[in-house]
This record gives sequence, C-alpha cells and structure tokens, in this order.
Amino acid sequence: MYHYKRDEICHFSCVKKKPLTPSLFSCKITKVIAMEEILRHALLYDFYGELLTEHQKQVYEDVVLNDYSLSEVADNLKISRQGVHDMVRRCNRLLDGYEEKLHLVEKFLSLRKKAERIKELAARRGDRSAMEEIEEISVRILEEL
Amino acid sequence: MAVKIRLRRMGQKKAPFYRVVVADSRSPRDGRFIEEIGTYDPNLDPSVFNIDEEAAKKWLANGAQPTEVVGKLFKLAGITK
Repeated sequence: MYHYKRDEICHFSCVKKKPLTPSLFSCKITKVIAMEEILRHALLYDFYGELLTEHQKQVYEDVVLNDYSLSEVADNLKISRQGVHDMVRRCNRLLDGYEEKLHLVEKFLSLRKKAERIKELAARRGDRSAMEEIEEISVRILEEL
Repeated sequence: MAVKIRLRRMGQKKAPFYRVVVADSRSPRDGRFIEEIGTYDPNLDPSVFNIDEEAAKKWLANGAQPTEVVGKLFKLAGITK
C-alpha cells in the first residue's frame, strides 16, 4: 500500500522544517502528455486494484505507483525482469478491461468536473445565470446516473 | 551505490499525489529515502510540479539517476535539457 508509514511522517516533517531554499522552483505543467499514462493507471488501480491478486498488486504498486524500474522489482521479488514486465502488461489489460465494462473512472472524472463547476457557480451568490447553469448541470448529472 | 530520483505515490484513493524522492536503488520497498526534493500534484488543472531546483541539480551532478517519468518532469521544468 502506498499509505503513509509512521516513520515516514517523522522524516517528512523534519524535511519540512528546513527553510525553503531560494531556488525552490515551481512550474505549472500545461502539457501533461508525458504524465497521462501514469495517472490513468494510478486512477484505474484506485478503482479496480482490489480485483487483482496480492502478488499482482505488489508488483503493480511498485512499478506504476512508486516508479521502480522493472529490474529493481525483479531483483527484489526474486523473479525475472521479463516476468515483471508481463505481469504489469497483464494487469494493465485487466484494469483497462474493467474500465471498458464498468466506466467507473470515466463517471468519476465527469462527476468531479461538474461538482467543481457547481462549486464555482455557487460562489457567485444570487447571480441568475449561475443558478440557471447549476440547474442545467444537475439535469445532466441526473441523466448520467 | 546507485542513487535514484523517483516518484512516490501519496495521497488518498482517487486523488493521486506524488513526492519526488531521492532513494538508494538497493533498498527498494522498505519506504526509506534519502531526501525529498519536490512534489507533483496532478489533481490541479494544470498540474503543479514543485521542485527544489538546487537540490535536484546537486543530486544529478553527483550521479543520481532519475527514472523515466522524473526525467520527463525535469525536462518540462527546464532543469535538464
């Protein structure tokens, strides 16, 4: 699992206490093409990961969520690199297959976008056109359910 | 000793959030890392990549190996060409 481990939290808070260096760099990424695949797989895993076997989960978490290389995972679990590669591919196919049939991720993303829009509109209290758009969005949500 | 710069998944389910960590490649899976040098938050639109540029350059100069994904982020951020 990728949840926090207790010792990690301690470590993290130590890091945080250091003053931020002046060179702290922040950039907004508009072109996320490079990242799309890894994010898509992370979401698919969040939704359907429990349907994989323990062993598949372990390998998939390491490769896709924690960014280990195939050979690192292979060394660690004492299986071949090819085996890890095959397993990741099989898991991707499985997860994609679930999404194709159930569309949970697609629905989640669409609902989240609409909810965010409603929140935005609701902040413009009393605005007539905002209320109308909220109504329109809720009709679309109801249709989708 | 090979040192790697990689992403580490954090955050709740359905809201992925990553830290950029420097870690020894020989001790995978136990969650230990040497230093955290940044974060990557794809939940925001556009996604936000925060990185301590100085630390990243220092580690790269010392021979730390970024993973493919981190390499792409560094390129986008202009740390490497």
